[in-house]
Amino acid sequence: MKVEFNENNKIVLKIQSTLYSISVVHKCFYWYSGKFDIDIESVDNNLIIKMSNIPDDMDKNSLISKIKKDLLDFNTREIIALETKDIRTLLIAKAFANDDEYDESPPGILDDPIGFNPFDFKK
Amino acid sequence: MIQLKTRGIPINLTAPTVATIISQTWSKDLVANTPSGQTVFLFKNVPPIQDKIMIVGIATLEYLEEGDIIYIDTNGSIHTLFRKNSHHNALFITDRCNSNCLMCSQPPKNVDDLTHFFNINTSLIPLISKDTIELGITGGEPTLLGQRFITLLGQIKDELPNTDIHILTNGRSFAWKHIPHALSNINNERMVYGIPLYSDYYRQHDYIVQAKDAFNQTVLGLHNMAKFKHRLELRIVLHKESFKRLPKLAKYIYMNFPFVEHIAFMGLEYTGYTIANKDLLWMEPTEYSDELEDAVLYLNAMGMNVSIYNLQLCLLKPSLWKFAQRSISDWKQNYLKECESCSETERCGGVFATSKKHSQLIQAIK
Amino acid sequence: MDAGTIKEFRKFKSIDKYNTGTTTYFLLPFRFHQVNNEKEVLVNEVGDFLIVPIGTSTRIANRQINDKEEIYADLIANFFISEKPIPDLIDILATRYRTKKSFLDEFTALHIFVVSLRCNHSCHYCQVSRVSENKQDFDISIADLKAGIEHMFRTPSSSITMEFQGGEPLLAFDKVKYGIQYANLLNEVHNKEITFVICTNATVFSDEILEFCAQHNVVISTSLDGPAFLHNANRPKTGTKSYEMVMQGIELAREKLGHDKISALMTTTTLSLDYPIEIIDNYIENGFSNIFLRPISPYGFALKNIKKNHYQTQRYLDFYKKGLDYIIQLNKNGHFMVEDYTTVVLKKILTPFPVSYVDLQSPAGMINNVVVFNYDGSVYATDESRMLAENQDFTFKLGHVQDSYHSLFYGEKAQYFSKFWSNETLAGCADCGFQAYCGADPVFHYASQGDLEGFRPTSDFCTKNMEIIRHIFDLIDREGNDIIKIFNSWINNTPQN
Repeated sequence: MKVEFNENNKIVLKIQSTLYSISVVHKCFYWYSGKFDIDIESVDNNLIIKMSNIPDDMDKNSLISKIKKDLLDFNTREIIALETKDIRTLLIAKAFANDDEYDESPPGILDDPIGFNPFDFKK
Repeated sequence: MIQLKTRGIPINLTAPTVATIISQTWSKDLVANTPSGQTVFLFKNVPPIQDKIMIVGIATLEYLEEGDIIYIDTNGSIHTLFRKNSHHNALFITDRCNSNCLMCSQPPKNVDDLTHFFNINTSLIPLISKDTIELGITGGEPTLLGQRFITLLGQIKDELPNTDIHILTNGRSFAWKHIPHALSNINNERMVYGIPLYSDYYRQHDYIVQAKDAFNQTVLGLHNMAKFKHRLELRIVLHKESFKRLPKLAKYIYMNFPFVEHIAFMGLEYTGYTIANKDLLWMEPTEYSDELEDAVLYLNAMGMNVSIYNLQLCLLKPSLWKFAQRSISDWKQNYLKECESCSETERCGGVFATSKKHSQLIQAIK
Repeated sequence: MDAGTIKEFRKFKSIDKYNTGTTTYFLLPFRFHQVNNEKEVLVNEVGDFLIVPIGTSTRIANRQINDKEEIYADLIANFFISEKPIPDLIDILATRYRTKKSFLDEFTALHIFVVSLRCNHSCHYCQVSRVSENKQDFDISIADLKAGIEHMFRTPSSSITMEFQGGEPLLAFDKVKYGIQYANLLNEVHNKEITFVICTNATVFSDEILEFCAQHNVVISTSLDGPAFLHNANRPKTGTKSYEMVMQGIELAREKLGHDKISALMTTTTLSLDYPIEIIDNYIENGFSNIFLRPISPYGFALKNIKKNHYQTQRYLDFYKKGLDYIIQLNKNGHFMVEDYTTVVLKKILTPFPVSYVDLQSPAGMINNVVVFNYDGSVYATDESRMLAENQDFTFKLGHVQDSYHSLFYGEKAQYFSKFWSNETLAGCADCGFQAYCGADPVFHYASQGDLEGFRPTSDFCTKNMEIIRHIFDLIDREGNDIIKIFNSWINNTPQN
């Protein structure tokens, strides 16, 4: 992330689109849009974020530091969310299913050296 | 240590049989009755042979009492199946087991004895007195009996409707849902399943029980059993491989199995496989006292029912004394010389007579 | 098995023979949130948590955890990662999830009946317009009362609470009496577990009223703002007599109904915020073993003053933390005292059980947990929404008590609200680490921000809850088992031994 402009009550940041997805950037700056005016633009392969209305007494360096951390965190969140989207759907579907059917595929085997078939127990 | 087996020379015994001791003769010999109404005589010495079923030349008979039920094999061996004056009777299902726990106190045998014991048990059950308070079911792994396990439990329900049945099983079969379902059809509210769980981390549990996928099977099994409203107890044996994650296991139990009606933390018996694996397993119970206290007090605070078995009071923190039960089966209970001057022998369960080694730190409490 | 396999079966193997043999792990759904300067908390889909060093979540996502680390075992055991794309124990996780949300099966439990707007006080923070004692046009009609009770018994919930509010409900005691008797009559058929609560200022108890309450196991909920100077300051018209009057009332009620049947609720004002210790001490002096350190209600006149509300929220958080700290200290010194709001959150963090609390659940408490039958027969989705109606805003009016149950509870309005009442799908909440412990409040957001979804960055609901939950985790991180023991005693309402 590059800080393109840092003067008075305004900061302009440039983020390569290959680094963070647009949804990560949006989600991150959502949390800043209460205190500051946020403008997000896509220019070539970059996202330009204009933050204005920054109070005079605010430590801009800490602010930028925090933004960097937050971007990293939201990026991690996106990795997790994307990878777990399907399993989450499966989990919730199973949670609310009325399972009258037996899912007869438990893991592993039950054999001792003689051998054992769980279906010796009749259904 | 109470004797449970003896032998003599069989006379006129054509088939193995169960029998109930009905009386003592003037000479302290015993008379027993079989289910088919035949009388069997048990003699210490060798009397003149008669046209009756006799076992003669038996070294010791004094341990047997009226009401005890025995199994007599054609080779003249006499096994005690049921002791009238004991609170610790159990039906033995099989020596087979599909796990191979590092600390197994009764190492499994790879011989198919299911039919042998099934026949003994189905003959035994009708002979057991109906006012028996509690009966265990043990092995090996009882569920290996398959469909006949259902038959046996059904017979128990019919013959002993007022007896609490405590089934010890590794619970792995219960991952196959149709088995908990079949068990629920027996409809006996007095059955409780005691199932071991040694860690919250699958690798640790599987390693301790020496069986791949055992953890997942047991955990799924517990949930299936709960779905079918079975009564469940968890058992945790305390040793070097299980103590470190004990507080985490306690939390895992509360969060995932809040429905279990009892949790037992058990001291290690120095017998069976434990001896072969002593370097992996044996430790002074005082060394895990922090973890044990953590786990027990946590579960208790969250409203779970907790007991400590097989640990002597002198080895436990006082905060845990109220959880300690006199749990060692009477037939294998003992006290040490150090216990002679102890003020707590009434409360304390003593040590395992079967243990070849005890804690070095057992001492009298004054 | 052949002899060789049998031998292998019975041979003891080392622990690495029990790995699944996977070279990498898969992620299970989880979120995270910073707790303090060193730690963050990971929270999975069913609310299990792990407090870990900051950056662990990123290490996990980037596959940088190796299986020799202790945390690897914790992540597997607690359902944060899996060694298979679909974990073998997925059914366990699904059952856990179902359990957490199972309060939905019960549906509406709390049924509030505003039997009258008449009141003999004028507390200056009261959001409900009061009418003077004598105007009986502001009492509920018998027909509407009956219709409301009949609706109450249509809920699938096996246990219900019938709560009488006002004004001062005991000024319309005849209606309260009728309501309880009619409910008991209907319950002979339905056999639900029913709790009766009367929210009263405790100044109009008569022997007849107390006798009736004792007979019917009624719980009294009264207002106690703290020491006399605070309590009286909120009631300028009755002034210095207010505190004495409520004390007398509480004494009387305790005598007739039993100590445990009387509970107190404080109303927090800007003045209260300076006196957390004094208020807690006052509750202890008056024999209460629990207190709810409530935030200042944003409803009413001050609602749209955004800056003032933010400032107040910060001051409230200071008040809450000071008060909580004091209460924890009391517990450490052997005095059992519980903070109610913290306990709601703790139940979500430390137990696997469903927690249904109107102001902090997802799906939200409106309709799913509570419904309000007003004195004029209108039906509202929450208590606060009838306050909005006082300002002619009927957004949350579900209909009239004579309407069908279906149109009230499952009708168009309910369906509309359902789009905004799950924090799983709200902007800001969807990724929040505290999602499992927090809730959604479309009524609050509509009232304070003009929109049912709400804007999280400036939402006082969010600011407050996020900080309370973070603070709880911070305490757990810094004080460990010592504080967990105290928290567990609150959850189980049982003092530590």
